[in-house]
Amino acid sequence: MFGIDRRLLQNFDWMLLLLVVAIVGMGIINLASATHVDGELTGEVRRQLISLGIGGVAMLLVLAIDYRHYERFATPALLVCVALLAATLVFAPVTRGSQSWLFGGRLQPSELAKLGLVIALARYFHRNPPSEIRRLRDLMRPGLIVAVPVGLIVMQRDMGVALLTLLISSTYLAFTRIPWRSWVGVAFVGVATLITLWMFVLQPYQQRRILDVIDPGRDPLSSGYQAIQSRIAIGSGGLLGTGYRAGTQTQLRFLPTQHTDFAFSVLAEEWGFVGSCAVLSLYLMLMLWGLRIARNSKDGFGAMLAVGLVGTIFWPLVLNIGMVLGLAPVIGVPLPLFSYGGSALVTSLVGLGLLMNVSMRRYVF
Amino acid sequence: MPIEEAGVGRLAAGVDLSIANRLIFIAVVIVLTFGVFGVRLFQLQVIEGEDLGNRARRNSVRTVHLEAPRGDILDRFGRELATTRPAFGVQVMPAEMRERELTFAALGSLLDQDPAELSEQVGSPRGRRRFQPVRVAKDLPYDSRTRVESHLYALPGVFTDVSPRRYYVGGSLAAHVLGYTGEIQTAQLEKRAFADYRSGDIVGQAGVESRYEEILRGRAGGRNVVVDVAGRVDEVLDEVEATPGGTLVLTIDRDLQQVAEDAFLPDVIGGEEKRGAVVALDPRNGDVLALVSRPSFDPNSFAGGIDSATWKELTESEGRPIQNRAVAGQYPPGSTYKVFVAAAGLEEGAITPEDRVFCPGTFKLGRRTYRCWKRGGHGSVNLHEALARSCDVFFYQLGLKLGIDRIAFFANGFHLGRKTGIALGVESPGLIPTQAWKERRFGEIWLKGETVSASIGQGFNLTTPLQLAVAYAAIANGGTVLKPRILLRHSGPDGTVEQGPEPESLGKVPVSPEHLATITRALEAVVHEPGGTGGRARVPGVRVAGKTGTAQVVHLKETEDLEEDEIPFKFRDHGWFASFAPVEAPEIVVVALAEHGGHGGSAAGPIVQAVLSRYFKSSMPEEPPRQTEPPKPLDPPEAPEEAAHVVRN
Repeated sequence: MFGIDRRLLQNFDWMLLLLVVAIVGMGIINLASATHVDGELTGEVRRQLISLGIGGVAMLLVLAIDYRHYERFATPALLVCVALLAATLVFAPVTRGSQSWLFGGRLQPSELAKLGLVIALARYFHRNPPSEIRRLRDLMRPGLIVAVPVGLIVMQRDMGVALLTLLISSTYLAFTRIPWRSWVGVAFVGVATLITLWMFVLQPYQQRRILDVIDPGRDPLSSGYQAIQSRIAIGSGGLLGTGYRAGTQTQLRFLPTQHTDFAFSVLAEEWGFVGSCAVLSLYLMLMLWGLRIARNSKDGFGAMLAVGLVGTIFWPLVLNIGMVLGLAPVIGVPLPLFSYGGSALVTSLVGLGLLMNVSMRRYVF
Repeated sequence: MPIEEAGVGRLAAGVDLSIANRLIFIAVVIVLTFGVFGVRLFQLQVIEGEDLGNRARRNSVRTVHLEAPRGDILDRFGRELATTRPAFGVQVMPAEMRERELTFAALGSLLDQDPAELSEQVGSPRGRRRFQPVRVAKDLPYDSRTRVESHLYALPGVFTDVSPRRYYVGGSLAAHVLGYTGEIQTAQLEKRAFADYRSGDIVGQAGVESRYEEILRGRAGGRNVVVDVAGRVDEVLDEVEATPGGTLVLTIDRDLQQVAEDAFLPDVIGGEEKRGAVVALDPRNGDVLALVSRPSFDPNSFAGGIDSATWKELTESEGRPIQNRAVAGQYPPGSTYKVFVAAAGLEEGAITPEDRVFCPGTFKLGRRTYRCWKRGGHGSVNLHEALARSCDVFFYQLGLKLGIDRIAFFANGFHLGRKTGIALGVESPGLIPTQAWKERRFGEIWLKGETVSASIGQGFNLTTPLQLAVAYAAIANGGTVLKPRILLRHSGPDGTVEQGPEPESLGKVPVSPEHLATITRALEAVVHEPGGTGGRARVPGVRVAGKTGTAQVVHLKETEDLEEDEIPFKFRDHGWFASFAPVEAPEIVVVALAEHGGHGGSAAGPIVQAVLSRYFKSSMPEEPPRQTEPPKPLDPPEAPEEAAHVVRN
C-alpha cells in the first residue's frame, strides 16, 4: 500500500504540481508585500512558509495511499469532522462574534469539514449515481449528509463558511437529472416562505440582524469602506501595475484585511491588469485540469472526488474575487492557496493532494 | 438502490458518458465566470484606472462616523425623562497640521487648556496614524465653541464636530430606573451580544438604558468622503444616514417619582436626609409608577465619561448611591411580614378572626423571653387588633403553631424569596428561610426560637422593597401576583408603535379572597383606627390600608435602653411602610423603606403619605402630555379611571 510503484512516478501529475506551486508562490510573494515593513521577513510570511511546509508534507502523505482506501473511511472521517465541529461549539472561545477555532487557534474544524464532506459526498454519489436522481426527494439523504455539518457551522455563527460549504456541496447538483420545473417549484416555495416569515413572524430587530448578515455593506464604516478602498487599489494598478511593494494604497495600509480577504486587491494594484489576469489564468487552468482528472479517472469515486475538490477551490474563489471586484457583498472568505491563513492553506494542499492522487492512479489497477 | 447495480457501477472502468457531458457543462460555467472577472478587471483597471489611480495618489478617502442619537425615554404621560442634546467637540488631524507649536498655543487659549498637554495628547504619530483624528475636546460650552469656530481658518488640521450626547432632563430624577450610558468597556466588546459594537460606542450600562439598549441604540451611519490635501471635502462617495433609536414610554409617572424622591429630603420631612427606597405599583396591572432609591446620582455625569474619583464615590462610599436599593437592597421585612403569617394562619385554620390571645408584653419559650415592642403589652387581642397594633406576641404564638415551613409556603405564594423579573437588570432574590434551607446552608437544624423571630419578619428573612410591593399588590387586587412592568410601549424611528409586555401574572396567592378581605380590613385599621400604628399615612378623603414594619439592624439588647436619637446611625432600625389605596378599589400600592430611619410608622409613613397625597390630588399631569394612555387594567375597567379621581377631589 505504501510502496512507491514506478508507474506512479511515471504518472506523476507535474502539471498540477506546477500550477499549485505557481499560485502558492505568487501568494507568498504578495503576502511579503502586503505585510512589508522595512524590508524584513515578517512574522506572517514566516508563519505562511511553515504552513506551506506542513501542507506539503501532508500532501505527500495523502498521496501515498491509494485514494480508493479513502472511500472506506469516508463515513468515520465525516463523523470525526462533525465531532470536532461540535467540540468547537462547546470548548472554543468566541472571537470577533464567531466561534470556530480549536486548540488555541491552531485548527479550524470547519476547514477540515469541507474536505470530509466532499469525500463523503463522492462516496455517496459513486454508490448512488446522480444521473439517476430525477426527483427532489432523492436529494433527502445526501441533503442530510450536508445539513449536519452546515448546521453546526451556522451555530458557530460562521455564516461565510456555512454558505461556502453549501455551495461546494451544490457542485454535485450539476450531475442530477432533476427537471427545471422542480427547481422553479423549490424557488417559489422558498421565496414564499421567506416572505411570509419576514412579514408576519420576524421582529424588526431580527430583520435588521438578517440584513446585516446578507449585506454587511449596510454598515459603510467597516465593509463599505473596505470595498471602496479595494476598488481604488485595483483601479490604481492600471494596465501594468505600480510595481512590487510600490502600491500606495497597499503600503499605506488602507485595507485592514489586505493580507487575508483582500490579498487579491494588493496583487491587482502592484501587478496591474496583466498580473491579475495571469494569476486568474493559473486558477482557471488549475480548475480545468481538475475537471480533466475527473474525466480521465478510472472509476466513479475518483471522478466524483475530483469534481468536489475542484468545487472546494472554485466557490471560495468566486466569492472572494467577486467581493474584491465589487460584484458580490463583503463576506469574509479568503482566496484559496493565496490569502494568508495556515489552516486554510494546509487543507487546500491536502485537497489538491487528493486530486493528484486520483490523477496518478488513473492507469493503475 | 439494488446492490447488483451498485456493484456494476463500481466495477465499470472509466467515467460514463452522462457524467462526461456534465463535466463539460461545469467547465463552461467556470470559463464564463472567469470571463466575467476578466471583463470587470479590464473595466476597473484599464477603463476607469486613471481616475481611480488619481484618487489613490491623494490617499484621501476618509470615513466619517455619524453617531446615531439615542432614543428618548418618556414617562407614562409622554413627558421627557431622558433625551439627546448636541455636544460640540474639537479634533486634530496630525497629518494636516502646519505650525505645530502655534496651533497648540492658539488652541490652548481657545479651550482654556495647557498647550503642552494638548501637544502630548495628540503626540506625533507616524505612518497611517497621522491621518487618524485625535479628539481634544468632547463637550464644549457654547461660547468656547464659537471662539474655536471663528479661528478655524487659521488652524489647519483642527476641525469641530457635533455628536449627540445623552441628557437626563431631571438630573438625578429616576436615576435608578433609567440607569446611565457610557463608552463600551473592553470586556463587553468581547461578548457576542456586542458583536456589532466598536470601541468608543456609547452603550446603556444600567437600568432601562441597558435593558432596552437594542431599541434605544439606533444605527450609526457613515459617510465616505474624498478630501483634498487641506482636508476639505471634495466629494461624498456614499452616505448612510444614522437612524435614531426608538422612543421608550415607561410606566413611571414623573410627578409621582419626583414627590417620592423629594420625600427623602430634609426640608420635606424634617431631620436629616434619609436613605432608603420607594416603590409605587398599580396593583391592577403591575405598572411601576415610581421607583426610588436614595441616595441617588446624576446620570448626566456619566454621559461624557466619568472620572475615577466620582466613580469611587458612587460605588464605594458608605451610602453607595449607585446601588438600586428598591430592587437589589435586601432587608428584614419586619412587621410588614405579619400579613403573610396571618394569611397562613387563616388559610390553614390555625386561627379564626375571632380567636383571642393575651399579650402581657413578653413571651417565654424555654429559657428565653421574647418581648413585644409595646412594653406594657396589648392585653387581649384578636387577629384584627393584632395587625392594627402590630402585636408581636400574637404572631409569636401563631408562628409557632404554624411552623416555619408553612409560613414559608405562604410567603413564597406571595412571590417573596424570588426575583420578580423586573426589567432593570440587577435584582436580589431576598430570602424566605425553611428548615431545609438552614440544613443546607449551615448544616444545622432549625430552632423553634428562630420561628418566633421569623413570625415577625426578623431573623433570616430578607425582602426587597419591590418584592414587598408586589406581595401587597396581590393582597390589594384579590390575589394575583403581577410581574412589575416598567415599559409601557416603545416606538421605532419610523413611527411604528409597539406595546410593551402585557400585564403578566406570576401566579395566584394560595389564600381565599375572603381571608384577603379580612386582612385588608385589618390593614385599613392600621391607618385609620385609634391605636393603629400607621396613622402617619392618612390622606384626607381616601381609605388607605397599610402596615408598618421595623427591621432590627442589631439585636435589641444593645440598644433597647437608648432613645432613638442616641443610637448610632448605622445601628438604627430600618423603618418600613407598605400600603395600598383606596381600600374599596385599590389603584396604587406604595412601599417605603427608610434605612436606619427608626420605627416604620414615623420614618416611612410620611413618605407614603406624600406619595399617596400626590397621587390622589390629581393623577393627570399638569403640563399637556405628548401622548396619553390611561392605565391598562388586567380586567376590563369598571369606570373611567380619571373620572374617579376627579370625583374624589
